[in-house]
Amino acid sequence: MKVLLSVFVISVTFSIGAGAQTLDDRLRTLEEAQKKLEQTIQEQKKLIQELKAEISRRQSPATQQKTPGLLNPAIGMTVDADAYHSNLSEANLEEVNIPGYLSGVEREFIKGFNLREAEMNLYAPVDPYFNLYTTIPITEKGVELEEAYFVTTSLPAGLQLKGGKFRSSFGRLNAFHPHAWDFVDAPLAYRAFLGEEGLNEAGLQLTYLPRLPVFAVVGIEALQGQNPVLFRSDAGWGIHAFSAFAKASLDFASDHTLLFGASVTGGRTETGTVIPETQFDGRSTLYDVELTYKWKPSKQKSLTIQTEYLFRHQSGDIVEAAGAVLDPLRRSQDGWYIQAVRQWGRWRVGSRFDVLGILRDGYSLSGLGIDFGKHPFRLTAALEFNPTEFSRLRLQYNYDRSARSNKVNNEILIQALFTIGAHAAHPF
Amino acid sequence: MLNKLLPCFFMAVSLASPASARLNIATTLPWIGSIAGDIGGDKVTVTSFIKPGQDPHFAEAKPSMILAVRKADILMYNGMDLEIGYLPILVESSKNPKIQPGNPGDFECSRFIEPIEVPSAVDRSLGDVHPQGNPHYQLSPKNILLVAEGMAGLLSKVDPENEKYYLGNLAAFRERLEKKRKEWESLPLKGKTFVAYHKFFEYLALEFGFSIIGYVEPKPGIPPSAGQMEKLVEMIRKTRPDAILTLSYYGQREVSFLAQKTGVKSIVVPHDVGETDKVTDWFSLMDEVLKALR
Repeated sequence: MKVLLSVFVISVTFSIGAGAQTLDDRLRTLEEAQKKLEQTIQEQKKLIQELKAEISRRQSPATQQKTPGLLNPAIGMTVDADAYHSNLSEANLEEVNIPGYLSGVEREFIKGFNLREAEMNLYAPVDPYFNLYTTIPITEKGVELEEAYFVTTSLPAGLQLKGGKFRSSFGRLNAFHPHAWDFVDAPLAYRAFLGEEGLNEAGLQLTYLPRLPVFAVVGIEALQGQNPVLFRSDAGWGIHAFSAFAKASLDFASDHTLLFGASVTGGRTETGTVIPETQFDGRSTLYDVELTYKWKPSKQKSLTIQTEYLFRHQSGDIVEAAGAVLDPLRRSQDGWYIQAVRQWGRWRVGSRFDVLGILRDGYSLSGLGIDFGKHPFRLTAALEFNPTEFSRLRLQYNYDRSARSNKVNNEILIQALFTIGAHAAHPF
Repeated sequence: MLNKLLPCFFMAVSLASPASARLNIATTLPWIGSIAGDIGGDKVTVTSFIKPGQDPHFAEAKPSMILAVRKADILMYNGMDLEIGYLPILVESSKNPKIQPGNPGDFECSRFIEPIEVPSAVDRSLGDVHPQGNPHYQLSPKNILLVAEGMAGLLSKVDPENEKYYLGNLAAFRERLEKKRKEWESLPLKGKTFVAYHKFFEYLALEFGFSIIGYVEPKPGIPPSAGQMEKLVEMIRKTRPDAILTLSYYGQREVSFLAQKTGVKSIVVPHDVGETDKVTDWFSLMDEVLKALR
C-alpha cells in the first residue's frame, strides 16, 4: 500500500512536472526558432552586404585591365603611295583645267611614282568635356596642319560643338579624308567647285541630334572662308563663309540603309581660279543634295551607291592685278556624280560617272553668255584588294573628257594605302 | 460605378508612369541585351543594335545605331576592342553625355571578366590580335556571371530605389546558372578535340575540358590561302579531331571544304542570341552551342 501510494505520488508529481516541462520546452523551442530566424536574417543581410562589397570591388579601377601608356594620345599614320600614267604628254598635263569652271590649279599627280602623303593622326579625350583630333599630313613639300579640332562630349539636349580646323560636314564626300574615298581622286564637281582638298576650314560647327523615331541631324557652321576655289585663300577677311546642312537616314529591313541630306555653303569670294592672270571678286553659294544607299548583309558582301548633285552660283567682277574692274561675271553651274562599289570578301569593284553642266552651264562675262563647248565628263573604274582593314591596293582607270577638247585623257592610277597604329573609326 | 472606375484609372496612371521611367539600355551584341534583360527585368528597356549573325568585329556605324545610343541611359558593350571599328564614332556622334567614357552609362562588360590569352607583346603582323586578351567570352558561364554581377551593381547604383529588385534578379540568375551549369557539365565534352575557324571557343574549351588543336585561320582575321588549306587537310587527317567548328558569319566555305576532304564533320555553331529560333536568350544560346558540340 505504501509502495502504491508512493508510486502514485511520484507519478502525479512527475505528470505535473512533465506538464510544466512541455510548456517550458515549447517556449524554448519557439525562442530557439526565433533566434534561428534572426540568425538567418542576419546571415542574409551579411551575404547581401558581401555581395554589394564584391560588386563594388569589381567596379573599382584596381581590377580593370590597364595597359601602360594609357594617357598617351592614340597615334596612327596612313601612307598613301601612288603611281600615275596618262596617254597625254607632260606639257598637256601641266595644268588641270576645266574651261569655264576651273583654271590655274596645279595638278595632283605627275607621271610615275608619287608619294601623296604620310598622314599622321593624333587623338584622345582632353577631359570629360572634349575630344581632340589632329591630322597632320607630311608630304615631300613639308608638314601641313590639315585638321586640328575639338568635339564636345557633354553638352545637353543632343547638341555638339566642333571647333578648330576641320573638314566641313557640307555634302557627303567632303567630311571624308582622301584615304577613305572609294576612288583615288575626287569627283569633277568637287574639284571644280571646292578644289582637290574639299571644304576644310577653320571655324565652328554646331550640330543637333533630336530624339526622333528616325535619325535626323542638323548643323550650322561659321567658317573663315579660306577655300582657294570657292572663297579666298587669304585669311585676312575674318569670318566670311557660312554653311548649313540637314541629314536623315532610314533602315529598310536590317541590311539596307538610306542616307540623304541637303547642304549649302556660301560667302565672299576672291579667287584666281576663274580666268588666268586675274582675280574674281564677288559672292559664291554652293548647294548640295546627297543620297547614299548601302546594302550590307554581311562582312563578306556589300553594295554602296552614292550620288551627289552640286549647284554653284557666283556673281561679281573680274579684276586685274592692279585692282581695276575688267568685266562683271555671273555663272550658275552644276555638277553630278554617281558611283557604285560592290564588295566580295577582300575584293571591291567600283565605277563612277561624273559630269559638269548637266542642267545648268551658264557663264556670262559682261552680260555675254559664253559657250565653252561639250559637257566635261569622266568615267572611272576601280579594282581594290584589301588584305586587311589596314592595307588597301587599288587600280583605277579614268576616261577623262573634262578638258572639253577632243583629246581624251586616259589615266591609270595605282594606289597603295597603309595604316599603322591607331586609326579613328570612319563614319557611315 | 465611379468607385470602381477611379481606382482603375489611378492604377493605369501608376502603371504608365514607371514605364516611362524605365532605364533605356542600348547594347551592341544581342547576348549582352539578353543578360541585361534578365537583371533589369521590367525596370529596363533593352535595344541591341548589332543584329545576330553579323560579324561583331566589322559592323558599320549606321546612323540608326547613333540614334539608339543617343536615346540610351546606359550603353553596354563587349569591350576588349571588339567594337573598336565603330563604337567610338557612335558614342561621339550620339551627342549623349550619359554614355560617354567615364560616366556611369558607359558599361564595358569585359571590365568584369577574367581574360585569357592576354598577349605579352602584340603587333598587327600577328593578325587581328586583341591587346587585352581574347574578346569572345560570351560562352563562358564563369565570366558571364561576373558580367551579370557587374550589371546588377551598375543598375543598383544608377537606380538605387530598385536595388533589391536587381539583386533579387541577380540571385535568381545565379541560381539558374548554377543549375544549368551542372546540366552542361554532365555533357560528354571532356577530352574532345576540335579544329576551329576563329579563336572563338577558347573560354568554353577551358571551362568544359575540351581542346582546340588547330585553327583554319593562319592568324586571327586572316583567311587561309590555298597552300595553307592543303596543310590543314593533312593536319586534320592526321589528328582526326571530333569536328571542325565555325560560326555563321564566316569560314563556312573553308570549313565545309575541309570536312568534305577529310570526312571529319563540320559544325556551324550559333554565336549570339536570336541567330536561330531556338536561341532566345543567353541560356538557350549555351544550350544550343553545347548541344552542337556534343
